[in-house]
Amino acid sequence: MHTEHIKYSLMDYITGHLDEFDLDQVRLHLQTCPECQNHYNELIAVRDALQHTRKVLPSSSYYSTILPRVQKRLMGHRDPVWSDGKIISRLILPLAVSALLLIFLIRMPSDSSSGHDQTDALFQAVKDYSADDVIQAVSNEYTGSNVLSNPEVVSEGIAEHLQGEHFIREALLKQIESDEIVDMDIDGVLSGLNREQADQLLSGLTEREML
Amino acid sequence: MSVSNDLELVESFQKGNEASFNELVRRYQEKVYWIAHRFVNDHDQADDIVQEVFLKVYRALNDFRGDSGVYTWLYRITVNISLNTIRKQRIKDFLRIDEFFEYPSEESEQPDKQYEQSEQKQLIEEAIQRLPEKQKAVFILRYYEELPYEDISKILKTSVGGLKANYFHAVKNIGEFVHRAHRAH
Repeated sequence: MHTEHIKYSLMDYITGHLDEFDLDQVRLHLQTCPECQNHYNELIAVRDALQHTRKVLPSSSYYSTILPRVQKRLMGHRDPVWSDGKIISRLILPLAVSALLLIFLIRMPSDSSSGHDQTDALFQAVKDYSADDVIQAVSNEYTGSNVLSNPEVVSEGIAEHLQGEHFIREALLKQIESDEIVDMDIDGVLSGLNREQADQLLSGLTEREML
Repeated sequence: MSVSNDLELVESFQKGNEASFNELVRRYQEKVYWIAHRFVNDHDQADDIVQEVFLKVYRALNDFRGDSGVYTWLYRITVNISLNTIRKQRIKDFLRIDEFFEYPSEESEQPDKQYEQSEQKQLIEEAIQRLPEKQKAVFILRYYEELPYEDISKILKTSVGGLKANYFHAVKNIGEFVHRAHRAH
């Protein structure tokens, strides 16, 4: 095993999750590599500290309350308009977003203030939909372009195309709302927003959970 | 009565047997709760996440085609909703700080509570909470849940090599956070 591979296996070595072959490899490597030995000592200290974290048990009756509450909420959401949410989220919303974007792109105004109003209106129209819906809808408008496989590029593409800071910011927010699990610096993103924008982001995330 | 496996339960639900969903909830509620709790370190928030997870599962169950295991799918939903909850909390904190410049923390209002818990435990919990999203997810699924990398890879859609690197850096970051905190005191 390479040093890098050994390094990344150290925690599994410490917690006993390596097979015998890998275990021997790590053990031998540690005898000759001071760098990995240092990492090993640091990780051992963390492992010891982690043992202070205990499992806080919920009350004994807690688990028996989960299912009844889920069922109650399901009953409350069985409303005929939304009963087939799949059709709405997968077909109607993307089509509506596509139409809005198309109308906006065709009627791009030269006057900057009315342009900003339209961008706001567009954002209001699309903010309720998931990032995937928006990306899918926009990608329909750009059939044949190979950048569409990358949602971030699409978001940036929309932003550039609309040439407005407002939409660049919204594209960034869309990335936060997406289901992608990334090493995101959310504090860095937040530091670039004002109160109103952060509020918008919060309501976007909340509404997204309700879909 | 035979015990159905997860996929049989899903198929049964898709044929109209809603009781199969109930069985899935009972089967996974404890796991889902603990993963959520590890992410947010708060019972009420973890409880909200559990509710959201199973609501989402119910609504999506008819579309489940078995491309991944049921538990892999369920864990992925749990991780995503947990991360979304954290993001919302961070934004709420951001808004609160914006509104009250020196907003007192919960700990400073409750000194007794602070002393009840060991400083080391608090530091570790804080260090975990401060990990970047992906490192945190990998750390929780590997260290606490002891899932094989192959399963985590399916849940987080990341290569096994990438996961191992994330796990290493997560543990290192926890250690460095605790070290810095000790030096600051």
